[in-house]
Amino acid sequence: MSFTIATSLDDALAALADGARPIAGGTDLVVGARQGKDPLPQNLVAIDRLGELARVEVTDSEIRIGAGVTHAQLMVDASVVDHCTAIADAAALVGSPATRNVGTLGGNVMNGSPAMDTGAPLVVLGATAELRTASATRTVALDELWTGPGQTSAQPGELCTALVMPARPATSGSAYVRLEYRRTMEIAVVGAAASVTLASDGAIESLRVALTAVAPTILEVTGLDDLSGSTVDDGLLASVAERASGQATPITDLRASDRYRSKMIGVMARRAVEAAAMRARGEAVAVPVNRATGVGAAE
Amino acid sequence: MTEAMVPAPSEDVPAFVRADGPDKVTGSGRYTADITLTGMLAAKFRYAGVSHARITRLDVEPARAIPGVFAVITADDVPDVEFSYGIADRRLFAKDVVRFEGEVLAAVAALTPELAQQAADAIIFEYDELQVVTDLEAALADSSPLVHDDLDAYTITGDTPHGGNVATHSSITVGDAGAARESADVVVSSRYVADASHAVPIEPRAVVAQWEGDKVTVYTSTQVPFDARNGVCETLELPASRVRVIVPHLGGGFGGKCGFHYEAHIAALSRAAGRPVKLVFSRWEEFVAPDRRREGMIIDVTTSMAADGTIVAREADILVDNGAYIADASFFAQAAAMHVAGPYRIPNVRIDSKLIYTNHQPSGSVRAPTAPQGCWASELHTDELAAAVGLDPLEFRRRNIVRTGDVGPSGQTYEEIGLEQCLELASTSAGWGRDLPDDEALGVGIGWWPSFGAPAGAYMKMHGDGSAQIITGANECGTGSVMTLRMLAADEIGIDPSAIELIYQDTAVAPVGPGASGSQTLFNHGRAVEGAARQIADQLRDLAADHLEANADDIVLADGKASVAGSPAIAVDISELAATAASGELLLGKGNAEIRDWPTLSGSSCLGEQGFSSFLAPQFFCHVSRVRVDRDTGVARVLEVHTAHDSGTILNPMAAHGQIEGGVMMGVGQALTEGTRHGDDARQLNPALLEYKLQTIADAPSIHTQFVEIFTPNAGPKGSKGLAEAPNVPTAASVGNAIAAVIGKPVRRLPMTAERVWEAVEGLDQPDSSTDATTYTGGAQ
Ligand SMILES: Cc1cc2nc3c(=O)[nH]c(=O)nc-3n(C[C@H](O)[C@H](O)[C@H](O)COP(=O)(O)OP(=O)(O)OC[C@H]3O[C@@H](n4cnc5c(N)ncnc54)[C@H](O)[C@@H]3O)c2cc1C
Repeated sequence: MSFTIATSLDDALAALADGARPIAGGTDLVVGARQGKDPLPQNLVAIDRLGELARVEVTDSEIRIGAGVTHAQLMVDASVVDHCTAIADAAALVGSPATRNVGTLGGNVMNGSPAMDTGAPLVVLGATAELRTASATRTVALDELWTGPGQTSAQPGELCTALVMPARPATSGSAYVRLEYRRTMEIAVVGAAASVTLASDGAIESLRVALTAVAPTILEVTGLDDLSGSTVDDGLLASVAERASGQATPITDLRASDRYRSKMIGVMARRAVEAAAMRARGEAVAVPVNRATGVGAAE
Repeated sequence: MTEAMVPAPSEDVPAFVRADGPDKVTGSGRYTADITLTGMLAAKFRYAGVSHARITRLDVEPARAIPGVFAVITADDVPDVEFSYGIADRRLFAKDVVRFEGEVLAAVAALTPELAQQAADAIIFEYDELQVVTDLEAALADSSPLVHDDLDAYTITGDTPHGGNVATHSSITVGDAGAARESADVVVSSRYVADASHAVPIEPRAVVAQWEGDKVTVYTSTQVPFDARNGVCETLELPASRVRVIVPHLGGGFGGKCGFHYEAHIAALSRAAGRPVKLVFSRWEEFVAPDRRREGMIIDVTTSMAADGTIVAREADILVDNGAYIADASFFAQAAAMHVAGPYRIPNVRIDSKLIYTNHQPSGSVRAPTAPQGCWASELHTDELAAAVGLDPLEFRRRNIVRTGDVGPSGQTYEEIGLEQCLELASTSAGWGRDLPDDEALGVGIGWWPSFGAPAGAYMKMHGDGSAQIITGANECGTGSVMTLRMLAADEIGIDPSAIELIYQDTAVAPVGPGASGSQTLFNHGRAVEGAARQIADQLRDLAADHLEANADDIVLADGKASVAGSPAIAVDISELAATAASGELLLGKGNAEIRDWPTLSGSSCLGEQGFSSFLAPQFFCHVSRVRVDRDTGVARVLEVHTAHDSGTILNPMAAHGQIEGGVMMGVGQALTEGTRHGDDARQLNPALLEYKLQTIADAPSIHTQFVEIFTPNAGPKGSKGLAEAPNVPTAASVGNAIAAVIGKPVRRLPMTAERVWEAVEGLDQPDSSTDATTYTGGAQ
C-alpha cells in the first residue's frame, strides 16, 4: 500500500508506471470506496498539487483545460466562461462548494459516469482528451474514451492531462441545463448541453446536442445536420426536443421513471439550445443557466 | 384581536438562551459517539435483512469463534420480555419470526467496529420466507397474510378494537354524516396517499453502556431519557435504581429518538462482554432499523356542503401504516382522524381510521405524528371544496373554521383560540390576492396540534453565592426550549437567568419527565420548574422579611434584590440571603407539573379512545406559501412561507423563530422530496441520503412569522403552549395548495415530487398510485 504525493508531472507519471492510480479531488474515488462501490486502490498517487494540470490555456486555435482544474475554477475562469460556457454551467452545478473546491474536470471525465455534468458540454464543444504515460502522449476522442458506465478506454498508467477543444467563431454559444429536484447536492437525473454557431443571417450554421444520464455513456444526439440553415424558433426547438427524447434510452430508477426521463431530456435539450443560441447572439445568460432563468433562478 | 408581533430574533437575544450553542458550533461539545471508555468494545448488530420470515436456524458460534470477539448475544441471552406501548408485540431480539428487515437478530461486541461487523456477518441465519404485507388496503382482506398471527396473545392496554392486521381502530362519529350527504347541495370526494418519511437527525444514534458492579450507566442519544431507562429496566428486568441513563449533547431527534431503542441491547451486550461497549449507527441503520419513522397513509375523504360553502358533513376512511411493531403508534389512528377532520365546524362527522400492521419498518412519533399528512389531505381537499362552490380558499375557510366558543368536529368546545387571527395574519403577510407571475401561486394551510399533560418534576437549589441550579428531566434535542426553563426560574426568584445552571439529561439526578417529546418541554417541565423556583422564592421572601423587618408577602424579588413593595430602597441582595441560608436552612425547591386532563366532548361517540379526540391547550396555525412551479418538468420551489401561530405566550422569541424555521424546512422536504419507497419485498429502496432527498439551505424559502399571543385557559407557564411540532404540520398543505393553484389541480401523492407534479400536469395516471378522480356533484346525490 502506498500513497505518493506527486510534486511534478514526471513524478506522477513514474508512479503511474509503477501501478499507482491517480487521485485528484477524491470526491468520486474516496466516496465510492466508502459506499462500497470499489475498494480504495492499493497504491495511489495524488495529482492535486500539480500546477501543470491546473491551467487553462487559450490560443488562436484551441482552448486547453488542464485535467486538474477544479469545478470552482471552471465556473469562474474567464476563458472557460467565454469560450466554453457550457462547461462553466456544468461545473457551477456540481455538488456543493466543498465538492467544487476539490473535484476536478479530469476526475469527472475519467470517472466515466453517464451522469457526469461536464461530459455533455465537452462533447458538444468537440473536446478530445490528452492521455499521457511516462513515454507517450495520445489524443482520444471522447466517444472512444467512454466505453460504458464507469469505464474508459484509458490504459493503466495513462494520466489524463488535459481536455482540448478547438477554438470557435465568435458567433458561437454553448449551454448546459440539468434537471434538478433541489438546488444543491443534486445528481443529474437528466441533463443536456448544446453548442450553436450562427451564420451572419442568424440561421444555424452548426448545432450539437449531447445528453447526460440517459444512456450508458454521454449520448450525442445525431442527425441534426438537416437543421443547419434553420432559425432558432419554436419549431426547431420542438424538433430538437423530439430527437433528443427519441434517441435517449433512459432507465427507470429511484430518481425517475424512463417515461419521465424521456420527456425531460427533450425539455432539457430544448432549453440548452435556446440558451446556447442566445449566447451565440451575444445575449447575456448568466452562468449557470439553471440559476439564470426558470424555477431555479434567484429570487 | 389581541395578537402581538414578537420582535425578530436578531433584536436583543440574551446570550444565555442557547448555553449549548458555542459547544455545538465550535466542536467542543461531546456527543455519545465521542465517548471513549477504557477497554471499550465496538458493537454491531446482525439484522434480519428480510421482511417476513420464520427463523429456522440462528447459529452465532462462527461469530464467537473469531478472535477479538468478546460477546455475541441473541434472544436466548436476555429475559424473554415482550414490550411496547399499547400492544406488547416485540422483544429486544427476534425470536421465531422476523417481521421487518431491520429487526435485530443478534448483537456482537468486538475489539473494533470492523471485527464486530465481520463477526455479525459470520452469524448463520436460515429462514423460511413468509408472505409480506406491504399494501395497506390488501392488508385488510380476509385472505391477507398476517404480520402477527394472534394479537390477543400479547398484553394489550386500553380497549381499542383490533384484529387481523388492524392494530388499532378509532372513529369519530357526530350526528349523521350519511343523511347529511344525501340532502347536501355539493359533495366532493378525494383520495390522498402519503408516503412514509423519516426524521433524519444529523447525528445517527449511538449508545455506550458500562457496568460497575450490578449497576449500568447508559450514555445514549435519546430524546427521552426516562423512557430509555424504563425500557432497560423492563426488558432486562432491572430495578430503576440500577440503571442510569445519561444523554450527552444530542444531534437532533425530530421525534425519531423518542422512545426506547437500543439501550438495553447494548447494556446486555456490555454485561456479557464484561467491558464497556459502544454502538454507533451508520446512516443506513438510522434509516432502516429504529421503530420511529413517519407513517404512510391513505386518506379517502368526502365532504358535503350547502351551496354557499357551509360544510355540513365529513366522512373519511384513513389507513395508517403501522409497520411491523406498534412502537408508540397506538394513538396514530385517532390522531390521524383529528387531522383529517381539521379545525372546522362540521356538524356531522363519520371518520374511521385504522392503524395497519405491515412488514415495513415500524412507524413511531416523528414531529407531529400523522398531522402533516392528515393536514395536507384535509387542506388540499378544502381547496377542492372551495373550488367546487366557487369560493376563494381563504373566504371558504373563513366561513368554516372553528373560532372561540365554537364546537369542533369531535364535539369539543374551544375556549379562547386564535385560528381566525392566524388565517388573517399569514394571508395578509403573504399578500393574498396579489398578482404573481403565471408560474407562481400562493397556497394556504391551517391546522392544529394539542398540548399533552405528563408527569414532570424539577428540583432547584440556590448556592451560597446566589447562583442556582435547576435539575430537570427535560432534554435538549435542539429546540433550545430547555434554556427557556432558566428564564422561568429567574423570573420567580429575581436573579439573572445566566446565573442559573441547568442540570439535565441524567436520570440518576433528575426527577421523571417526558423529555423532549410532544412539544411539552415548557408545558410540563416548565410548570415543574416554576413550582421548584417558587419554593425557593418563598424561602427567599421569608429570609428577606426577617432581614428587612417586613411582611414576607410584601417582598419583591427582582434584579438580584429582595425589596419591599413600594419601597425599593429597602432592599437586600439575594446573594446575601443565599449566604445566610448556606449556613443554615438550605435553599431547596421541588416542583411537580400537575397533570392536566383532556377537555371533555359532547355529542360525539368515539371508538378506540386514545386520548386524542379532544385537544388540551390546542395550538392553531396558518401557513401561506408562495411556490414557483416549472410546468414542463414538475419541479416546484418554495419561495416564501408566511406563518402565523397561536402558541400562546412566546417566552423565548429566538427559540420560537428557530422552531418555526426548522419546522417549515422539514415540511418543505416532506412536501417535495422526502419519501420512503418500498420494494415488493417490503424493504426500503432509498435508505440513504443520495436517494432520500432532504432540503438543503440553498432550497430554503424566506420565512416570515407572526405570533398570535392570546390568553389560553389551561396553558403552560405564563400562558404558553407548545410550538415544536406545530410548524411542521401545515407546511406541506400550503405548498400543495400553491402547486395546485399553479397547475390547476392537486397532486394527490406526498411527497409531491417533480415527477408526480409533471404527471398531474400531463393528466397521466400515476403509475405508483391508485388515485380516484375527484367527483363534483351538484345537488343531492
Ligand atoms: C457530494 C458530491 C456531490 C457531487 N456532485 C456531482 C455533480 O453534481 N455532478 C458531477 O458530475 N459529479 C458530482 N460528483 C462527483 C465528483 O465530485 C466529480 O465527478 C468530480 O469531478 C470528480 O473529480 P475528482 O477530482 O474528485 O476525482 P477523483 O475522485 O480524484 O477521481 C475519480 C476517478 O478518476 C480518476 N482520475 C482522476 N484524475 C485523473 C486524471 N487526471 N487522469 C486519469 N484518471 C484520473 C481516479 O483514479 C478515479 O478513478 C459529486 C461528488 C460528491 C461527493
